[in-house]
Amino acid sequence: MSVSRRQFLTHSALAGAALALQHGDALADALTRPYRRIEDIWRKKWTWDRVAHGTHGTNCAGTCAFNVYIRNGVVWREEQQAEYERSGTPDVPDYGPRGCNKGLRHARYMYGKQRVLYPMKRVGKRGEGKWQRISWDQATREIAEKFIDVAVKHGPDSITLGSGTQLAVKMASYSALARFSNITGVTVPEFYSGVGDLPTGFYMTTGLTYLGDTMAAVFKSKCVLVWMANPAVTRIPDAHFFWEAKYNGTEVVTISPEFTPTAMHSSKWLNIKPGTDTALAMAMVHTIIEEKLYDAAYIREQTDLPFLVREDNGEFLRAEDLNLVDMLAVRENVFYLWDQKTRRIVRAPGTGAAEAPVGRRRRKFETIALGNIEPALEGRWTVETRTGKVTVTTVFALLRKRATEHSPEKMSTETGLNPKAMRTVAREFAKAGQRAMIYAGFSACKWLHGDILQRSMVLLCALTGATGHEGGGVQMANGPKSRGITSFAFAGVGAASRVVASTLWDYDHGKMKQLNEKIYGKKLADEFDSHYQHSLKEDWFPQYGKNGWKMGIFAGENGANWRASGNRWRTEAFEKLEMIVALVPDAGITMHHADIVLPIAHHYERADIMLQSRHPYVQVLDTAVKPLGEAVDDFEALRRISAAISTIAREKATPAIKDDVDGRTFRRDLKRTLELYTMDGAIRDSRDIVQFIINATPGIPKMSFAELAAKGIVRVDESRDSTVWNSDESPFHADIAESVHEKRPYETLTGRQQFYIDHEWFLKFDEALPVYHPPLKQKGYPLQMTMGHARHGIHSMWRDDSFLVSLQRGEPDIYVNPDDAAARKVRDGDLIEVFNDAGGFVCMAHLSAGIMPGTLYMYHGWDPTMFRGRQNFAAVIPTAGLVKPTSVAGDYGHLGYRVLAYAPNQTYRDFTCEFKLYSRGKVTAAKARIA
Amino acid sequence: MGRQISMVMDLNKCIGCQSCTVACKTLWTSGEGMENILFNNVETKPGPGYPKNWEQVNGGFRNGQLQMPPLIDAKDYGGEKPLNFDEVYFEGKSDRLQQKGEMGYGANWDEDTSSGTYPNNYHFYLPRLCNHCTNPACLKACPTQAIYKREEDGIVVLDEDKCQGFRKCNQACPYKKVYFNFVTKKSTKCIFCFPRIEQGVAPACARQCPGRLRFVGFLDDENGPIHKLVYQWKVALPLHPEYGTEPNVFYVPPMLAASFDENGDFAENPRIPMSYLRYLFGEKVDEALITLLNEMERRKEGKKSELMDLLIAADWKQLFGIPIVKYA
Repeated sequence: MSVSRRQFLTHSALAGAALALQHGDALADALTRPYRRIEDIWRKKWTWDRVAHGTHGTNCAGTCAFNVYIRNGVVWREEQQAEYERSGTPDVPDYGPRGCNKGLRHARYMYGKQRVLYPMKRVGKRGEGKWQRISWDQATREIAEKFIDVAVKHGPDSITLGSGTQLAVKMASYSALARFSNITGVTVPEFYSGVGDLPTGFYMTTGLTYLGDTMAAVFKSKCVLVWMANPAVTRIPDAHFFWEAKYNGTEVVTISPEFTPTAMHSSKWLNIKPGTDTALAMAMVHTIIEEKLYDAAYIREQTDLPFLVREDNGEFLRAEDLNLVDMLAVRENVFYLWDQKTRRIVRAPGTGAAEAPVGRRRRKFETIALGNIEPALEGRWTVETRTGKVTVTTVFALLRKRATEHSPEKMSTETGLNPKAMRTVAREFAKAGQRAMIYAGFSACKWLHGDILQRSMVLLCALTGATGHEGGGVQMANGPKSRGITSFAFAGVGAASRVVASTLWDYDHGKMKQLNEKIYGKKLADEFDSHYQHSLKEDWFPQYGKNGWKMGIFAGENGANWRASGNRWRTEAFEKLEMIVALVPDAGITMHHADIVLPIAHHYERADIMLQSRHPYVQVLDTAVKPLGEAVDDFEALRRISAAISTIAREKATPAIKDDVDGRTFRRDLKRTLELYTMDGAIRDSRDIVQFIINATPGIPKMSFAELAAKGIVRVDESRDSTVWNSDESPFHADIAESVHEKRPYETLTGRQQFYIDHEWFLKFDEALPVYHPPLKQKGYPLQMTMGHARHGIHSMWRDDSFLVSLQRGEPDIYVNPDDAAARKVRDGDLIEVFNDAGGFVCMAHLSAGIMPGTLYMYHGWDPTMFRGRQNFAAVIPTAGLVKPTSVAGDYGHLGYRVLAYAPNQTYRDFTCEFKLYSRGKVTAAKARIA
Repeated sequence: MGRQISMVMDLNKCIGCQSCTVACKTLWTSGEGMENILFNNVETKPGPGYPKNWEQVNGGFRNGQLQMPPLIDAKDYGGEKPLNFDEVYFEGKSDRLQQKGEMGYGANWDEDTSSGTYPNNYHFYLPRLCNHCTNPACLKACPTQAIYKREEDGIVVLDEDKCQGFRKCNQACPYKKVYFNFVTKKSTKCIFCFPRIEQGVAPACARQCPGRLRFVGFLDDENGPIHKLVYQWKVALPLHPEYGTEPNVFYVPPMLAASFDENGDFAENPRIPMSYLRYLFGEKVDEALITLLNEMERRKEGKKSELMDLLIAADWKQLFGIPIVKYA
C-alpha cells in the first residue's frame, strides 16, 4: 500500500488553501510576485511518484519508521514518517522523528556496486573474486546435492547455518531461517554469545537476560550512569532522551576511558581505565553501604542479601544442613533468613516449594513477600546443624566485608579515578533512589570478567531500590516474546533444532586451546580447558566437538569479519568447509570466500516486520520496489533450496536420517523438506509468515499485513501511562516489574535477585560475590585497545558506503592519544601497524586528545578487504579461546547451559598491543588550530 | 522588509551523526559535479572544518567593506569518491577495497579530533548551513545579480539561470557556504528547503534530525521558539557575528561534561575555554551560558523553567513554528 503523489498534493493543496484564507495578504503577495524559473526547478526536484512504508531491518534496534519515495521506478530517497507518540506522562518527550545517517543513506546504498545481483559460482581460488554467473536452478541444485551428501554421510549437524543480524532481526526472515533449520537439523550457531553480547551477569543475578524498558524511561531517571555504552553513536534515534533528561534535572554520568560523543554532552564523565569498571562499581557499593544510603526494605524482600550463609564453608544454609524433626519437610533449595522479631531462623518465602523449586512454576505459584518476617541484614548466629554447631551470617554482612576490600581509596590506582569523584557519583546515584538508572551497553559482555561487572550493576540498582521502578534499574535491551517466531519455526514439526553456543563450537573446532597457550600461557590454557572438559563430562554443557565442519550456509552473516582471532578462525574453521554458501544482499569478506553466492533482497525490496523494545511500535517493511537483478528474499531463497533438496532426495530415494538432538531422536526425511518448509504450500511468501507472526505474538494488534503496511507503524502496548514494560499484555517481557510489584519469585536458584552464588567454582575463583579481577594483558605490549559500534555503519553494513566513507577518512582509522603517537614518531594521518603476538594490521592514525594515554580506540565493522593484506582488527584480538570456567558451570539452579541465557561469550577486550609507523600519511595536518 | 525564516540549533543536543548532511545530500546535491557540495555539513570544533580552515579566510565585511579573499583550493574540500567494488569483489583484479583516488581531505576529516589535553580535552559538533544572512556578502559580491533574498521568507536563493560562474560569491561568503559546480560551471547554495517551507514542511536537515536540535520558524513570531530563544532568553547566538553579514541561523552554545581539577576530582571550570566560545559566538556567549546554567539549576531543584521546557521540546513538532504558508 502506498500513498499516491496525487493524494499527497491534494492534501497539501487543501492545507495551503486553508492557510491562504487565513492570510489573505500572503496570497495577494504570491500572486504579484515575479515568476522565477529557478524556484520551479527546485520545487520540481522535491517530487515523487509514490510512497511506501519501510525501515532498515538490521540489528541497530532502532526500528525507525520511514517513508520510502519512489520516482521513475527506483527508490529515490527516504524520510522519517515521524508519526510517533510518547510513553508515560505528558512531560516525557515523544519518539519522533528517529532515523540516522545510515538509514537516510539507504536509498543510495541499495543501488551501490557492492550489491550481489545474480547467483554466482566461484571459478578462481577462494577469496580471489572470480565468478561465473549461474542460474538459480543450477545454484540450488549444487547446494542441494552437497547438502544431502553431507547430511547422509556425516549427519545434518555437520552443516552449519548461521543467520546473521543482516537478516535475522526481521521477524519473518528469521522465522524462515529458523524453520528451515528446525526441519533439517543443521547446526545453528547462537551468535548472541558468539559476538559477545550475552548479558550473562544479568542472567546470573535475575534469571533474565532482557533487562530494559523503553528508551523514554531514561527521561524519568534522576541519575543515569551510561556505562559500557555510547548511545550518542550507537542509539542515534534515541540519544535525545539523555540530553532532554539533563535539561530536566537528571544527572547524566558517562563512564568510559575515551571522551565519547556521549561523554561530551553528559553532566559528568568518569574517565576510567579500560576493564576496571567492576572496581568502580564495588567502590560505589562501598560508599552506599558505608554511608547507609541503601533501601533496606527493598533488599530485604527482593534480594538474597539477608540470606544466611555458613561461615565454615561459605555455602548458603540449606534445609539439608539442619536437624529438622519432620524429615519430610526437607526439600531441596530451601534457604533461610534470621527473623529479628522471633530471633530464630525462618525459611525464606518462595524457596523450597515442593512442586516448583525453580523456574516458571515457582514464579507462578509462590511469593517472595516477607509477611511478618523481619529479616536481619547483618549479624552472626549459631545454628545447630546435623554435623554440629555452625556460625552463620548474612550475604549482606559478607558484602560489607567485600566492599571494604574495594573502597574508593583502594580502587583509585586500579581505575585511575579520584576517590572523591567516585564517592560523588555514588552519592548522586544513591540519592536518586528508585530513579537511579544504569544505561548499560553490550560492551561489558566483551570482557572476560564482564559478567561480574553486570552482577555489580544489578547490585547497585538493588541497593538503591531502583530495579523495577520507572526511571530506574539496568537498561540494556528488552526482547520481544518469541512465541510468534517459535510457533512458526516449530509448527507441525515440533522443536527439533540444534542450537549451539558458537563460542564453544569455535573452541572445539578452531584449536583455541593452542591459541590460549601461545597468548596467555599454559597455566591459563590448562585451567580453562580442564574446567570446560569437566563441564562436558558432567553434562552441564553439550559437546560440540564430535563432528567437524563440512558445509556452511551463511545467511546475512559476516563471520569472517568479526570473529575474534579472525585469521585463526578463517584458516582453522571457515576455510576447512567443503562448501561455503552465502546468502547476501551485499558483497563482503564472508561472501567473498564462498563457493556459491545467492543474491538476497535489500530492506526496501521485501515484506517483513520489526519489533524492538526501544519504542512501543511494530514496524512494517513493505516492498517499495522489486528486488534488483535476480535477488529474492531469504524465505524464497530457502524455499528454492528446499525444493531442490526434495527433488534430488526423491531422485536418489534418500532414506530418512535418524538424528539425535540432545537425547531426542528425530527422523529427517529430506524428501519432505519443501512440504514441511512451506507447511504444505500454505506459506507462499514472507507476507504469509508476517501474518502468522502477527496472529501468534501476544501484544501485536491483530490486523492484516496490508493494514499494517498502509499505516507503517502500529502501537503495540495497551498501557500508555508508563515508560516501563510493565504489562503482561505487551509483546515484551515484564518479569522484573512483576517480581518487584507482585512479589513473584525470580527465576534464580534463590528466587531473589541473587548476588551470592555458592557454586563450588564460584567459591574457588572468589566470585561468590562480585569482585574486581583485573583485565588480562600481554607482556611486552603496553597498549590496551578497545572498540565500539560505529557511527557510520551497523556492524559491517553501510561501512563501505562511498558517501559515509567520505565522511570519515576514506579508509579505516584508529584513534590514538597524541602523546602516545609522538613517542612513536607518528603524526596524524600516518599509517600505523598495530600488532601483538597474535598478528597485526595496518590503518590510519587519527590523533585525538580524547583518547586515554596508553589506549587505542577503533570503531568496528570495517571489512577485512578494506585493509592491506585483508587483515582487520580481528588479527590482534586473541581472545576466542577464553572460555571462562564459571561461564560453563552447571547443576546449580538457573546456572547451566541455556540458549540465549547462559553460555560463554566470545570476548574481545582482554588483550594488549603495540603500534609503530607503517608509512607517512599524505595529508598535511591542518594549519594553525584556533584555541 | 519582508519576514525572515530562521533556525536555532542546540549544540548541547548535537551528536554529530551526520543525518542532516546525508538527508540534504540525498535530496538536493547528488548530481554530477556535486561530490564536494554539502549545503549542510557537521564539523568537529575546534578544528579546520569544511572546507579546510574556512574560518581563516576572512570574507564578509570589515568596517562595512566587503572583503574578497582568494578562493579555497579544491583539495581543501576533498569529497566523495567511488569504491573499487567491481575490481575487488567481482573481477578479482584488486586485493583491497578502497576509494578510487586519494581522498586528501573531507568534510568530516577531523571527526572527534579532540583539542586540549586528556582528560580536560574538549570538542563538540557544529552543524552548518547557509546563514541566509540579512546582509549577505554573496549577494553583494555577485556581478550578475544572480543572488536574491526572497521577500516572503528571507531565504537567499542563487539563480543559476543568471549565474555566469565568476565565483565572486564563493570568495565573499565568510562561511564558505556558496559552492561551485565544476561541471555546470555555476555556483550553488542551500535554499533552506523553500519548496518544503512553502508546503509547511520543515527543511530536510531539521525535520530529519534525530537529535531534535533544530528549531525552525519566523524570527518575528513572538510565540515561536526562535523568537523566544534568540530575543527573550538570549541563549541562541549567531556564529562569528564579527563577519558582519547578520546571520539568521543561531546556536545554543555547548556546555560539555564537567572538567577535572589537577587531582582528578570534578572541577567548576568550564571544559571548553571561554576564549574559544567567544571566538565563535562573540562576547554575548558568557551571558547565554549563565542563563542556561541557572535555568538548569532551577530545574534540578524541581522548579519550573520555561527555557528548559522550550529546549526539551517534549512534543517534537514544537520545534517547527512555520505556520505561515505564503502559497501552496
